[in-house]
Amino acid sequence: MSESQIIVCRCEEITLKEIKETIEHFKCSSREVKLRTRAGMGPCGGRTCRSMIDQLVAELGGPQITNEVPLSFRPPVRPVSFGLLGGETT
Amino acid sequence: MNLMRVYHHPILGNLKKQKKVKIYFDNQQYEAFEGDTIASALLASGVRVLRLHEDNGTPRGIYCNIGHCFECRVRVNGKNTVRACLTPVENDMRIESGIFLHKT
Amino acid sequence: MIDLVIVGAGPAGLGAAISAAENGLEVCVLDEFVRPGGRLLGQLHEEPDGKWANGIEEAKKLYERAIQLGVKIQCGISVYDLMKLDNGWCVYTTDKTIKSKCLLLATGASETPIPISGWTLPGVMSIGAAQVMGNVHRVKPGEKGIIIGVNVLSVAIARELQLCGVHIESILLPKPSLLSGHAANPEKMMESLLRLSHLAPSPFIRFAGKWVSPKLGARLYPKNGFKMWDIPIQLRKTALEIVGDKQVEGVRIAEVSSTGEIISGTEKVISVDFVCIAGGLTPMSELAAIAGCSFCYVPELGGHVPLHNEYMQTNLTGLYVAGNITGIESAKVARAQGTLAGLTIARELNALVDRADEKINAAVEGVIEARRKALIQFQPGVEEARTKLYHKFHETYEEIILTS
Repeated sequence: MSESQIIVCRCEEITLKEIKETIEHFKCSSREVKLRTRAGMGPCGGRTCRSMIDQLVAELGGPQITNEVPLSFRPPVRPVSFGLLGGETT
Repeated sequence: MNLMRVYHHPILGNLKKQKKVKIYFDNQQYEAFEGDTIASALLASGVRVLRLHEDNGTPRGIYCNIGHCFECRVRVNGKNTVRACLTPVENDMRIESGIFLHKT
Repeated sequence: MIDLVIVGAGPAGLGAAISAAENGLEVCVLDEFVRPGGRLLGQLHEEPDGKWANGIEEAKKLYERAIQLGVKIQCGISVYDLMKLDNGWCVYTTDKTIKSKCLLLATGASETPIPISGWTLPGVMSIGAAQVMGNVHRVKPGEKGIIIGVNVLSVAIARELQLCGVHIESILLPKPSLLSGHAANPEKMMESLLRLSHLAPSPFIRFAGKWVSPKLGARLYPKNGFKMWDIPIQLRKTALEIVGDKQVEGVRIAEVSSTGEIISGTEKVISVDFVCIAGGLTPMSELAAIAGCSFCYVPELGGHVPLHNEYMQTNLTGLYVAGNITGIESAKVARAQGTLAGLTIARELNALVDRADEKINAAVEGVIEARRKALIQFQPGVEEARTKLYHKFHETYEEIILTS
């Protein structure tokens, strides 16, 4: 089915099919989708795909969207070098 | 060269004369204008492919163009993970596309 | 320690910088983009009186006023972490670390894409990306393109791209999928187009907007689409797949019934060298989240928004929000919210004392007025949703003491 050709997480190239199967099998949250498939774990920090993951979870049997942000944001929210963290100036 | 520039615009007016700079992308020289981002300079010369996906080798270029998606990440003067869409060009800038990590 | 750091130099951030600095505060504005102005920079549209609203010029005016007032504005800097201090905030950036008494997050919105097979090919970009490329960088995103997604943004930007000399082949629907939602449904899209009809250049569409019901409109919708400024808007055609070897070469499309079913045998490939995806917008609130802000899910405002009140205060002392991070609206509303936030912050820091209530209440009215005058509502029900949000804030939190 063409769902295997639709990429949801661009960073990790995770397809709609893979995410759909994971949610349907585990009836899981966005966080668990991320842990099981790597969707949302790429360099963009889930910025591009999180809305799609949340929508799929709500539609396919996972928990409904609540006020709490489903996929938590973790600092640093931009890739930073150890040098920068250690106080190196550019 | 610069086939895609919007030199004339009915509302925004004509593009003012820009200072030209020389940049290198994967060792190929390109002409750019001061004030371009790496992404806009390369697109102006018809270059869309900025990197290959690290696992699968699929070609990638800009997607959001405002620094959110990181698709446009390139190596600039030796520094990795630089967003081409947010980086102003400088004369003699050396830009390299990412490396496709072959699966073993 | 300075008085105020503002993350985001768009209309909200600059609006706040101005009203804060007018009251004597020391302000620093940070922005990741190469120049100040945010997404206002790319905006270019005709007002009902025939004049063109030019985002670049408007942003320049805001920037110059802020600089005149002594505001420090730094571009090309990213904020990667925040920490609450006893008496303020610590802002970690890719340039240096800044400490300030108050922090305003005006980071705007991000686009929520509708994925389609082939959308990772170079040449496929968000609709906002094309606007920035054309209007801000003065580079065409391509010679000939297709826009997938029929909505306010896609129609407005299609026109802007045309002014850049780009040929827009059509604006059409995404293929029905788990992620296309209403966007793939002709009736729903007809409904949203009719709400926009007062903007349409064609008197026929303006007239039709008053009388045509969405169902009827979708059934009667011409198979070849309706043209606005010579660009076909196709509610009866859908994009199935984007094709190309190393970059975009074409889009495979098909016709759909008025209820959105694909009609077999109508597939064909249209050659284009770029494609825009026009999904929706959602608040870019990652910094509010790592600051520890509470959130509220409000679909009318674009998704999860940081919980805040009508004065732009969040539940965290010294943390404020303004602009699209509070919910998706127009640049005029963003600017009015910024002006209001700047005044509220000035009062918190005891810089605004004289007639403070009067000025702040006038700024609150300013936001409401900007909203009512806005030509485009991205979603219906925005004002009601905001009122409900402010009530929720007041129910949940005690009044924040403004003077220290």
